[in-house]
Amino acid sequence: MRQTLHIFKKDVRHLWFEIAIAITAVAAFTFTGARRALWLVDPVTNRTAAWTMVLILLPLAWWTLIARVIHDEALPGDRQFWITRPYSWKSLLGAKALFIFVFINLPMLLADVAIVRACALHPLGAELPGLLWSQVLLAIVFVLPIAALSALTAGFVQLIFAILMPCVIAVVVAIVAPEVVLGGFWNGTDWVRTYCLFLVIGVAGPAILVWQYSTRRTTAARISAVAAAILAVLGMTLIPWSVAFKIQSWFSKQRVEQPLARVDFDSGSKWLTRAVIEGNRVRIELPLNVSALPPDMSAKPEGFSVQLQTPDGTMWRADQALSGYASNMGQEFSLQITVDGAFYRKVKDEPMKVRGSLYLTVFGNPRSALIPFGDRSVLVPHVGVCAASQGANRQTYFLICSSGFRFPPRLVSYSFIQSAKETAQYAWTSPRSRSISYSPFPAEPGINPVSQDFALGSVHELFSEGRVDAVEAVAYIRRNFEIDNLRLSDFQISSAPASP
Amino acid sequence: MTDILRTTNLTKRFRKTVALDHLNMIVPEDSVFGLVGPNGAGKTTTIKILMNAWQPTEGNAEVLGRDSRKLSPQEFTQIGYVSENQQMPEWMTVEYFMEYLKPFYPDWDAARAQELLRQFELPPDRKIRNLSHGMRMKAALASSLAYRPRLIVLDEPFTGLDALVRDELIEGVLEGAEGATILISSHDLSEVESFASHIGYLDRGHLQFSEEMTSLVDRFREIEVTLANPLQSPISWPAAWLNTEQSAAVVRFVDTQFDQERTIAEVHRLLGNTHQISVNPMPLRAIFVTLAKAGRKAA
Repeated sequence: MRQTLHIFKKDVRHLWFEIAIAITAVAAFTFTGARRALWLVDPVTNRTAAWTMVLILLPLAWWTLIARVIHDEALPGDRQFWITRPYSWKSLLGAKALFIFVFINLPMLLADVAIVRACALHPLGAELPGLLWSQVLLAIVFVLPIAALSALTAGFVQLIFAILMPCVIAVVVAIVAPEVVLGGFWNGTDWVRTYCLFLVIGVAGPAILVWQYSTRRTTAARISAVAAAILAVLGMTLIPWSVAFKIQSWFSKQRVEQPLARVDFDSGSKWLTRAVIEGNRVRIELPLNVSALPPDMSAKPEGFSVQLQTPDGTMWRADQALSGYASNMGQEFSLQITVDGAFYRKVKDEPMKVRGSLYLTVFGNPRSALIPFGDRSVLVPHVGVCAASQGANRQTYFLICSSGFRFPPRLVSYSFIQSAKETAQYAWTSPRSRSISYSPFPAEPGINPVSQDFALGSVHELFSEGRVDAVEAVAYIRRNFEIDNLRLSDFQISSAPASP
Repeated sequence: MTDILRTTNLTKRFRKTVALDHLNMIVPEDSVFGLVGPNGAGKTTTIKILMNAWQPTEGNAEVLGRDSRKLSPQEFTQIGYVSENQQMPEWMTVEYFMEYLKPFYPDWDAARAQELLRQFELPPDRKIRNLSHGMRMKAALASSLAYRPRLIVLDEPFTGLDALVRDELIEGVLEGAEGATILISSHDLSEVESFASHIGYLDRGHLQFSEEMTSLVDRFREIEVTLANPLQSPISWPAAWLNTEQSAAVVRFVDTQFDQERTIAEVHRLLGNTHQISVNPMPLRAIFVTLAKAGRKAA
């Protein structure tokens, strides 16, 4: 421990300038972040440019600090003075970890507390799990990757090269085969893929650091790092979204038994039963109906797997996550399967059997809260702190909700009403089209400790207060369906408009 | 004497290049061991492996009785290492450098450290980056002598130094390394011949010999034989005779196993009657050059 502190003191003495830059960046972050709380009552205080700049500068300051402190006793090479001195690798690694904790994690922890408090949230109360988990994410996202790369490189130039090389490869692959890099967006379950990456970083990062500090076998450590990067990319791109949904279903809060939430073909909606010809491909649209849900629940389709089969065994399979947000919610849903033109022409007159599964998120536990106009913010349970205000011209209305460390896994809608007692007149009532994450963890990756969501109304009506409605994701379920004797030739046929 | 450094079949390959080839070397305790050899002979490779900066491909090396791959901070508290191309903490002042190293060594002698700084005329408040090469070497040496290490390893410490600084360093090493074993590598024999007690000669990864300086100087002689009669037929020279030159009346060679009686008898047996046999002791440099030439011829 004495050696750890001794090395730590040396690093502080040497890197005081970089420390000052990092602390200044955190101070600027705290100041602008806390000022953002004022948006709740006065949106004109928005300093987006300053905030954006701080969000860019802060990681750069951290990464410089991490690289400099690790390169101060560079591990690759055979000419460093310290390798023939009685350094204990545990003390050295401990000193670097202590340095990073003291000058990155601790200031950020305090900054988060200050910002969250400024937003009238309770960092040491309800937001404590988020506060602590955000520190874990900070380590995984911002510290470990750069610390591991710094331990594998002898200096800044090598480090920049090590960072740029995979970036260039990713950009090239993204241009040539975007699906490999992007892999489609999985809406609320996308966190599973992200946490696959975090798991690899969380395991490989410390392992590489310990291995490199204890043995200084740089070549082997670099090979391990490349293997970990490949594993992370494969994990990100090859994991099927249905597996992600299966994992998601472990976090269901309520059991929705089989008779509930049935999925059937909606044969009545003929106009939704279409085959849209798109060049060499045909998009088959099947209306499905989700029924038998309890009255206070609604369902949102997240994806499907489907199999079209003719009596002679010709088959087409599709399996995909659905893009689109909460506006897809409701009882009816259009299943869209894109098939090959040749397959379509071959099977369109055949009676087909369609077997499939629809993956649904079930929302329940509706909650509402009224937010009076003015300076007073209102704590809305499971949503955050909300405030409503009225513009100077009395025709513009703002409703802003802030939540600590992540936006809650709830669909939230905002509206303005004339009075709680009178008949409501909504300026804007549809569910917010923001993407929500169903992650069970109390914080989202990112620097900003406060997620803010807002509604802006500009109408000539006089409103007296805002209203926040929220429904919670309570279950993630899969429902199978079957359709017999479906003939694609019976579908309405249309052609997609040609691209300009 | 016990062995403070020992290598057994130590081999290091860099892809297809063999830098060390089954090196067996012993450095006895309390010796000043000069490891000499031309550039590229494998001296630095040997030292890097001994200091656990590199891993051997085969064989093993023991330092202070411990496998070099397992050298712990405990062993490094007893080792002082100075290298010509060592990267120093450039931002530190000389004084802070010494202060910084102090807690790492239980036997650090602060008074001795101050004395070394004075002896080497090192400016305490100057940053290492602003020191001349000679000053840097002095700073490195001072920082390696202040804790009275059992083993001092100096890898080409005098390269690029002027004669004055070199002498100061040698003086510093000899004064400061009382009771320590010193391993010093150099491509220039004259740098070490004045104070080494043992010499190891390394060439292309092979240790050609390793022995005490006195025995080495005793067994090498330059011999010139003036013949009474010209030689009639070619002669197969003994393996111990190197650099043999022959003219009608004179034969010159270097005897690497000189023994007055045996050598004279051998001369008479091979060359017959002689007018004169002149036996000259050889300076270490001449021995070194002879061995280098012989090695090149053999290769």
